[in-house]
Amino acid sequence: MDTATLIARESFVERGARERVAGLLDAGTMRELLDPFERLRSPWLAEQDIVTQADDGVVIARGAIAGTAVVCCAVEPAFQGGAIGEVGGAKIAGALELALEDAEAGRPVVPVLLLETGGVRLQEANCGLAAIAEIHAAIAALRAHVPVVGVVAGPVGCFGGMSIAAGLCSQLIATREARLGLNGPQVIEQEAGVDEFDSRDRPMIWSLTGGEQRRATGLVDTLCADDAQAIAAEVAAAVAAGPEDPARVADVDAALARLARIDGDRRAEAEWVRDAFQTPTDDGSDS
Amino acid sequence: MTQRNWTTRRDDKRARMAAAEAWLDGKVLERDRVGDALQALIRSGDRVIAEGNNQKQADFLSRALAELDPDQVHDLHMIQPSVGRPEHLAVFEKGIAKKLDFAFSGTQSHRIGQLMMDGTIEVGAIHTYIELYARLFVDLIPKVVLAAAFKADRAGNLYTGPSTEDTPALVEAAAFSGGIVIAQANEIVDDVSQLDRVDIPGSWVDVVVEADKPFYIEPLFTRDPRHITPVQIFMAMMALKGIYAEHGVTSLNHGIGFNTAAIELLLPTYGEKLGLRGKIATNWVLNPHPTLIPAIESGWVETVHCFGTELGMEHYVAARPDVFFTGADGSLRSNRAFCQLAGHYAADMFIGSTLQMDADGNSSTVTTSRVSGFGGAPNLGCDARGRRHATPAWANLAPEGDPLARGRKLVVQMVETFQAGLTPTFVDTLDAVAVAEKAGLDIAPVMVYGDDTTHLLTEEGLAYLYKAGSPAERRAMIAAVAGVTPLGLSADATTTQRLREEDKVRMPEDLGVSRTEATRSQLAASSIADLVDWSGGLYAPPPRFRSW
Repeated sequence: MDTATLIARESFVERGARERVAGLLDAGTMRELLDPFERLRSPWLAEQDIVTQADDGVVIARGAIAGTAVVCCAVEPAFQGGAIGEVGGAKIAGALELALEDAEAGRPVVPVLLLETGGVRLQEANCGLAAIAEIHAAIAALRAHVPVVGVVAGPVGCFGGMSIAAGLCSQLIATREARLGLNGPQVIEQEAGVDEFDSRDRPMIWSLTGGEQRRATGLVDTLCADDAQAIAAEVAAAVAAGPEDPARVADVDAALARLARIDGDRRAEAEWVRDAFQTPTDDGSDS
Repeated sequence: MTQRNWTTRRDDKRARMAAAEAWLDGKVLERDRVGDALQALIRSGDRVIAEGNNQKQADFLSRALAELDPDQVHDLHMIQPSVGRPEHLAVFEKGIAKKLDFAFSGTQSHRIGQLMMDGTIEVGAIHTYIELYARLFVDLIPKVVLAAAFKADRAGNLYTGPSTEDTPALVEAAAFSGGIVIAQANEIVDDVSQLDRVDIPGSWVDVVVEADKPFYIEPLFTRDPRHITPVQIFMAMMALKGIYAEHGVTSLNHGIGFNTAAIELLLPTYGEKLGLRGKIATNWVLNPHPTLIPAIESGWVETVHCFGTELGMEHYVAARPDVFFTGADGSLRSNRAFCQLAGHYAADMFIGSTLQMDADGNSSTVTTSRVSGFGGAPNLGCDARGRRHATPAWANLAPEGDPLARGRKLVVQMVETFQAGLTPTFVDTLDAVAVAEKAGLDIAPVMVYGDDTTHLLTEEGLAYLYKAGSPAERRAMIAAVAGVTPLGLSADATTTQRLREEDKVRMPEDLGVSRTEATRSQLAASSIADLVDWSGGLYAPPPRFRSW
């Protein structure tokens, strides 16, 4: 890359949630729902002496991408590490449920989820988890009607229950710095021991949960540079692609076959995990 | 009349070398006999340099030193530019060494503080680097130097390459004063033709030994752009407008913090917008900071002379010989002594950070729990009163109307008004004063004195301290930019207003810098991965900095 390109390149990751959404939508079409002036704050954080935010760290906006109606749900990574609480979770779940009603009524609206989250907000525990479950259900139902597009871009990554939401998307876009996993490195180290997983061994962590590995194992559909324009182009392509039929995650047999190929006693290493995740082709041999 | 013996030092060296002869093949020492050899070559009370540089550490030899029998060898006087390894302090705890003269303690700063307070270490002085080297030729002449090299040949020639750092200064002091030079090398080759180049001639070196593992090297100067905050970017914008552009600073040294990393990363973006390329920041005395890559690649930087190297920058530096000082083999040649001299005499500006500053502008990184030493900061961060050449930035600080007026080096302290944990940066009395008392130091370890500080930049504003008409006005100028710290709250609003009108203090709005503009999107690179992209894949960051 020449220096002019490098200077012109605008990072997607460096943008806040609202700015990320604005950059994806056609000019002049952004309309925020439940914006900060509605002052929908977390009732739980204040009780724990934690500063709240007027949008609870989630931005919901309607608009269009290349003329197609979309609803963007963006998690703000700078607030509470993007963790999902009751209010923010309900904003996403509600937006997806409204999109489902529209889709069923023949007015398709494509959901675009910008996920940058450590998962449920621990301070809100079950209230956040309940919202995440609603998000899962809504994504699964929506997939029959419209593509559900997910983006995991920044170093916060996407973990916990929200990693399941990412997995349920019909199209998932990630950068190489993004990580995707059910449990974060510290949690795995704490549960399984440092010999199994050293949470300070950064190359090892990214080799297993980073964007490149997740692309190679089929859990991410598109690997993209941290470039606001490039990511917008990938999102637009995914929005235009139409619903996924049949849905990838609906193929339970393939997932079970993959699981069967994993030796649980063996310490995970990038190379053999990639091999085990190869999708068998029709004739039964590994592709 | 009895004839005086003029060769006592040389004779003593001969006797010691003879005592170690059994384990030497020429100059090459068997690795397993390093303890026996050190026991024969080092005597109680000797002045010993264990090469602890900022980065490169003679760790194999210092581990062997720490294994000596304190009944046989004790009361050593250690001289170390940097005390960076646990074994450097073990020699004191075991009673092998008693006295220490040093410049920087880095990662050992907490422990060294404790050992000073409890009397285990008797500290001669905490120096600035070239001050310590200078004393090696006057009143701290070493008897033994334990040095480190990448490679040595059997004749004692050393290849120290990108990590040459302090080696020439330390070795020279012993090699020409009847001292003994012992070098560890990662690899010993048969012939000089197998060395990439010769950094230290073999005739200066008495013993070479192949280390059990490569010497330890610490990536001290890598700052991950991910951790640069908008406040730091805001201050960097003020610095570029109010200092770099204001005075036309072309030659400079940057401290190692995130503040100055932000400036490096703003040159190709914000600096370019201000039209400053080619007008400022062209010639540097600096370690090869990865965050300087975008400025180099976009044509801002003409030259960089380096104190030491930085892990991961080897290939990048080798591929940019027009910018960096490199040998015939292509690799970097660093040299801390020359680089510090350059920073003292030839740089227009030093800009760095500190942990504490008092109302008079004196600053120190020594706090009660931490004695980190100074490294090169006092020498870089002071006016060079022996300087006799003018540059536009230097001359710009001269008072007007005096035919004998001379300019000044810009010494800039760039600090946020509060440190982590809401500790105010501005204090009534530096912790250094109490530390000096407790540790029995002759002088309080002040890093940069207030009267050397020409500019103070905080997130509140920029005080042009060199314009102060009196010590009282200087204090008022410091208070004016000290924010809501107790010192800042003591500032008188009317006085501050007058200082602004007299252009002695400028607030962000006076500089035309807006807080809302100060976003991370201004950075030419926002992650280590971006720096790799900027380097065309030549920069190879150490694993701990990778996030992909």
